[in-house]
Parts: sequence; structure tokens; C-alpha cells
Amino acid sequence: MNEPIIKLNGITVRKAKGLLLDGISLSVSRNEFVGIIGPNGAGKTTLLNVIAGFERFEGTLGLFGRRESWRRCRETRLRVGYVPQLFQIDPAFPILVAEAVMTGAIGRLGLFRSPGRQERENAMRLMEMMRLAHLAERPLGQLSGGERQKVSLARAILQQPDILLMDEPTANLDIAVQKEVLNLIDEIHKQEALTFLFVTHDFNMLPSAMRRAVLLDHGKKVFDGDIDTALSGDTLSRLFQYPLETFERNGRRFVSYG
Amino acid sequence: MAEHLLEALTYPPIQRAAIACVLCGASCSLLSVFVVLMKMPLIGVSMSHAAFAGAVLGLLLDFNPFLSGFILCLLVAGVLGPLSDRTDMSPENMLGIMFSFLMGLAFLGMGILTRTKAGALNLMWGSLLSLSMSDVWVLALITSVLVLFVFLFFKEIRSVMFNRRLAAASGVPERMIYYTLLFLTGAVVSSNLATVGGLLIFALLVQPGATALQLTYNLKHFFLISTASGIGACVSGLVVSYIFDLPSGASVVLMATAIFAAAYVFSPKRRSAKLKGRDTFHENDAR
Repeated sequence: MNEPIIKLNGITVRKAKGLLLDGISLSVSRNEFVGIIGPNGAGKTTLLNVIAGFERFEGTLGLFGRRESWRRCRETRLRVGYVPQLFQIDPAFPILVAEAVMTGAIGRLGLFRSPGRQERENAMRLMEMMRLAHLAERPLGQLSGGERQKVSLARAILQQPDILLMDEPTANLDIAVQKEVLNLIDEIHKQEALTFLFVTHDFNMLPSAMRRAVLLDHGKKVFDGDIDTALSGDTLSRLFQYPLETFERNGRRFVSYG
Repeated sequence: MAEHLLEALTYPPIQRAAIACVLCGASCSLLSVFVVLMKMPLIGVSMSHAAFAGAVLGLLLDFNPFLSGFILCLLVAGVLGPLSDRTDMSPENMLGIMFSFLMGLAFLGMGILTRTKAGALNLMWGSLLSLSMSDVWVLALITSVLVLFVFLFFKEIRSVMFNRRLAAASGVPERMIYYTLLFLTGAVVSSNLATVGGLLIFALLVQPGATALQLTYNLKHFFLISTASGIGACVSGLVVSYIFDLPSGASVVLMATAIFAAAYVFSPKRRSAKLKGRDTFHENDAR
């Protein structure tokens, strides 16, 4: 196993309402695809926020072999991409699809430098990959939820990160669109040398590239191992406190709600 | 009528008022782009009341009202910035508390002001005709800094306005942009106390941006339309107030509202959205 790119040791997040994360330790190697799975309130998004540098925490966090606090320098931020859940945008907001994708390159360009031909070509390549090129000149607010999530993915990849954090990127999308976004994530995994952390509570909608799962419950890590064991009926039934059964079809494991 | 107006422009107080009007329109309307697109009208209103309260306290303590207004604005910005970053507190509630506290402070200051209250009332409604040349210079300097800020950091500003968290995640100096913006809001609001006053300035911090929102999807055009409509409202308001002998601040605000109403009625964005909705309705009908 190579040197971990992400290393968490005893990460705890306290808020007025209680402990959101309770002593989480975790190591993720370069190019791994890890799912963070758990019920609502398990601390999945908080964990992602700690790694992204949006949340104060206790414990130690190492990124790229360097100890980090919640405050990040620009260089570290550039290496950690972030795809949020589908968020609302005013349909009248003055930003076009191509401009929204290009915001992913702004941090890397630095101050007082405008996007050049290279950035434009990269943005166009990504929009073609996401099948968004024909929408490049459309206002972002006029796009469907699935199209907006593909813009989010393209924006995050344009940043050229080493780690990609995805916070329920398929939540609130139609089933067909969820599948399309998941296929794109698998395609990105094949083409780009990236380490993925994928947060979800829907274990029937997982990218096929995901081979490892970390299960969280009430801020604690309750399982860390291969995805097939994680998706066994017993493990999930205990986690969700609900009788769940699993079955296999076309080589993939699915969960039945009984 | 035109001759009469041109003759009026030969008088120095009118000249100063006209220049201040253009600068007030430009500075407030540039800020209104941020206020409208980042959905922070309550921050605008809190800052304008901070400037007003600070200026009243300045009058009370025999201190330069612009400086005291600016200092209180900076203090409020220093509190509002970190508060808006906290996830365990409702920003709307905190802004509501801040807003009412500042109003209370301003009215307390006015209540115990033993000298004439005309100075304090001027800060509330503005008094274009009593501006000094130094007031105009300060306004020109602050407007120039704001224009330079937008020009130099346009791509970072677009990124932050689109989504603060995503901007931070992609390595954009989001805090630097946001805090500079709060600082400039304080400077613009306090330097405009003498032009449109601490209460009416709020209209100019919202309406030009709201006008541009009806008309374009292009952010560069958005800044230009907002600035043009802000300057247009200020200049036409001044002319109307001169012709009909009306209070200048109120005339400016009413002209800004009229420009917004016209943009809303003739908005191409609204019309295309409506047509799109109708098309969808017909498509659904046909199924």
C-alpha cells in the first residue's frame, strides 16, 4: 500500500447540538475510490467538510503528507476539488454554463491573470465529456438539475485536483439522470488519476469504481472495508436499524428494503 | 427649461451636487450588484444604519461624522463577516438584531443631542446642496477604489458571487474578496450620508442591481446597466427635485424605483421565461 494521501486521526467535531464526529481515524491511498455511507445525521458531510477545510475540528488531519488545520493555503485548496449537492440558483443569475465551468480554473490562475487558450480548451474538452458543449452559452439557471450537476463536475475537474470530494452529487435527481451522472463519475475515474471520496446514503446508486466503503453512524466509524461486505444485509440492517436484504444482479449487489 | 438648468450649473453648490450625484449613483449601484447577486440586502441595510448611527454619535461627541460613521461601519463589518461564516447561527436573526441595535443607537444619539438636530436630520435624508468640496473628493476617491476593485478582481468576484464555498474550495481568495467588499460597503455608505442620507441610501444599494437583474445574463453588462441606472436615477432625481422644488434624496429614490419598474415591465428575461413556460404548458397539453 502506498503513502496515504488523506490521513485522519481522532477527528472530532463538536457543535452546540452535540458531537458531529467522534474520533474518526481513516487513511486513504492515492487513486482510491472510497464511499462514505450512512444514514442522515451520521456525520458524512461533516467529514467531507473537515477534509475540504470548511469545518473546525479536533484531532490531526494530514493531506499529501502534511499536517493541516481547517485554514488552508491556496496550494492545498487547489489540490482538493469539491462537488456539492445540487444547489439552488436564481434562474436570472448572470452566469453562462461555460463561465460557471471556468470558475474552476480561477484559483489555479491566480490574481491578475485571465483565462487563456489552454484553460478554454480544457473547459471545452470537459464540457464535451459531460455532454454539455451545446449548452455552453446558456444561462446556468435555465439548466435542469442533472445538467447543473454535470457543470459542477466539470468545474471541479478543471481545477485539476488530486482529491475529489463529492457530497451526495446525485441527490434530488431523477433515476435516469442519477445513473448518467454515476457513469460520468466512473468515466472520470478511468481517465483522471484522482482519489475519490463519495458521500451518499443511497447504496443502490453507487459508482461501480467504488471498491471501498466507510460506514458512519452517529459520528462514529462503524465499518471500513470492501464494498461487498459493507453492502451485506447484516451490516446495513444494523447501521440503518431496519431489516434490509441484499441480492446480486449482473455482478452487482443491490439492497432491498424488504 | 434647459437654459435654466444650465444656468443653475454655473453655481458651485449645484456643480458639487451634480458631481456628487454621479459619484453617488456610480458607487451605490456598483455595490448593489453584490447586494442583489449575493442576496445580502440585510447586510446593506445594517451597514447603512451603522454609518448613520456612527455619524450621529460623531455629532454628539464633536467628531467628524464621516469618520465616526466609517469606523462604526468597519466594526459592524468585522462582526458581520465572521458571523455569516458560522453555520450554527441564523444570519437573518443576527442581522435583525444588529439592525435594530444600530437604529436604537442612532435614535438614542438623536434624542440626547442637545444642539440643533438639523445636522442629524441631514444625515438621515441627505443634503446635496450643502456638500463641501472635500465631501466630493472623498466620494470620488472611494468610488475610484471601488471601480478599481471590480476591474482588477472581476474573475474572482464572479466566482465568489456565484458560490462562496465553491470559490473557497477552488483556491480563490474568497475571504479577501468578501471582507474587502464589506469594507467598501462601509466606505461607500458612510461617504454617501451627505448625498442621499443613511435611510434612503438603502434603495440605491438594491434597486440598480435589481434593475440589471431584469435585463441581462452577462455579468459585465450587469455592472454597466446597474451603474447607468444608478447614475440615471441620481441625476434625474436631482433635476426633478430642482424643477419641482422637492427633497432631493426622496426624488432620487423615487426615480430609481421608476427605472426598476420600467425594467421589470419590459424585462426580456421575464418575457422569455414566460414564453418558455407557455411552451411547456402546450407541450404537456398535447401529450
